[in-house]
Amino acid sequence: MTTVGHRPPIATLASDAPSNRWMRPASRRTRDTRGQWGRFAAILIFTVLALIPIYVTLLLSVQPGTFSTSSSVLTLEHFADIFTNTDIVTWLGNSLGVTLTTVLISVIVAAPAGYVLSRARSRAVSAYSLLLFVIQSLPIITAVVPLFVLFAKLGLVDNLIGIIIVYLGSTMSVATWIMAAYFDSIPRALEESAWMDGCSVFGSFVRIVLRNSLPGVLSTAIFAFLLAWNDYLVALVFLKSSNVFTLPVGVQGFFLQNATDWGPVMAASVVMLLPPTIVFAVLNRYFSVGGIGGSLAGH
Amino acid sequence: MLLFLAPSVILLVLINAYPLAVAASQSVHKGSLIIGGSFVGLENYTDALTRPAFWNAARFTLVFTLAGVFGSWLVGLCLALLLRARVPAGGFFKVILILPWVVPIVVSSTAWNWLVATPDSPASRLAQSLGFGEPLFLADPKLAVITVCAFKIWHSFPFMFLMTSAALSSVDRNLYEAADIDGATRWQTFTRITLPMISRSTYISWILMTIFCVNDFPTIFLMTGGGPVNATTSLVVLAYRTVFQDFQTGPGVAIAFLMTITLVVTSTILYRQVRKAVTA
Repeated sequence: MTTVGHRPPIATLASDAPSNRWMRPASRRTRDTRGQWGRFAAILIFTVLALIPIYVTLLLSVQPGTFSTSSSVLTLEHFADIFTNTDIVTWLGNSLGVTLTTVLISVIVAAPAGYVLSRARSRAVSAYSLLLFVIQSLPIITAVVPLFVLFAKLGLVDNLIGIIIVYLGSTMSVATWIMAAYFDSIPRALEESAWMDGCSVFGSFVRIVLRNSLPGVLSTAIFAFLLAWNDYLVALVFLKSSNVFTLPVGVQGFFLQNATDWGPVMAASVVMLLPPTIVFAVLNRYFSVGGIGGSLAGH
Repeated sequence: MLLFLAPSVILLVLINAYPLAVAASQSVHKGSLIIGGSFVGLENYTDALTRPAFWNAARFTLVFTLAGVFGSWLVGLCLALLLRARVPAGGFFKVILILPWVVPIVVSSTAWNWLVATPDSPASRLAQSLGFGEPLFLADPKLAVITVCAFKIWHSFPFMFLMTSAALSSVDRNLYEAADIDGATRWQTFTRITLPMISRSTYISWILMTIFCVNDFPTIFLMTGGGPVNATTSLVVLAYRTVFQDFQTGPGVAIAFLMTITLVVTSTILYRQVRKAVTA
């Protein structure tokens, strides 16, 4: 690698001179185009195969059941069925409430912590970074058992606030890393000039740094959204009655009762997969997990 | 400025450190979930370590983790390499390929169940028509392990793809131009430039995926419930069952702790490797 690295003049020439494009032999360009379609075919085949479970879900949710009265090919009867015969509306509301609260608090807590991780260069801060790493590697099950005992005393079992607290504990490490990674990309000069103008550290953080960190904030928000929306274990342990179920436990219970009646089961699945898919489809360009690497190893 | 850390530290102490301390104490006491018992020293640990179920679960956890980490890494790396070059509709693929990771496990495990669970499922019928006899993807112990691992890889490859894509995009293009001029073959370029340049990110993605795999509960629990005949019971599933189904808090927490210690040691070793890769 080092021998390669010692030849910048040639490399620069090759990449900077536009005339080189026209001097390429024609065969090379056709090979590029062919390679392009070859890669396209490979990716297309992989994608089609990899997404089979997702089409299956969508397809079965709108296909009439065996005893259906409807004669059309597509039907919304399964959706009508689950919305009238199950508590899915309650579960949906609970899931949305829990998820959005988790997202909001995660960002509010992780943003300032990430800022410290990004800017401070003290031993205590790098120790904290390592601590976050250790916390992240702890299985949630070790925390769940003692928290269950504690929450039982505080009346937080079978209570949505209880699971929000647990989710906050599990998003904290990664949320802080994502924020720190994003703050790393914001030049210090911005805040420093604000300090010169008499802005407080907190003021410059909120008005300068945070205002320029929308992608970082959204990245953290998407991460927290997915974690809280998709969690199954915590909800399974802490939630006992149907009126506080979130979608994963509610829907899973419904699946177990209707194991062979796939139409309503898949309709419930669709209700559950739509929100994260929409969030991701709209905000995907802001989402980057690559940055985690930098903040984990950078300090 | 340290005030900025305060909310995060408070949360960490309350939600992570406190329960950990309590769990440590539970692991050396008798008693159930609610009622504390007498101090028994390391009895719960020796109890856990002498259970055949523990070693069975440890073996499955190892297989599941190795398959999950390297399987999803290979798939993610291949996709990232393919999509790094110009490909028609590349941007569309980059978004849609993330779906397996975005879809809730409760949903995707149901779809997988529909595909493989019974002899009448599409995948089983396909295997029959190809002459593989009558495979019971979730009822045969060996096949169930393979199916659960495949499900994990399917769910995780998008994460590896995102990590690797980010790393690949930061590799200096001039290096490739230079290698091209030096007459390096594609394989040489890949092993001598691409892999070393993304090694830091690779180690980190391995560490994170190891953590995700060892701590994974829903993938296994929702696919097989740990069966058939405990073939797919991982340490987390075993700990969950011991605590919440057999109501043996002490041994259950001891199992979780033994797993945690192994995990922390493994990831710390890998973490050091990362630092070496950074400074090298």
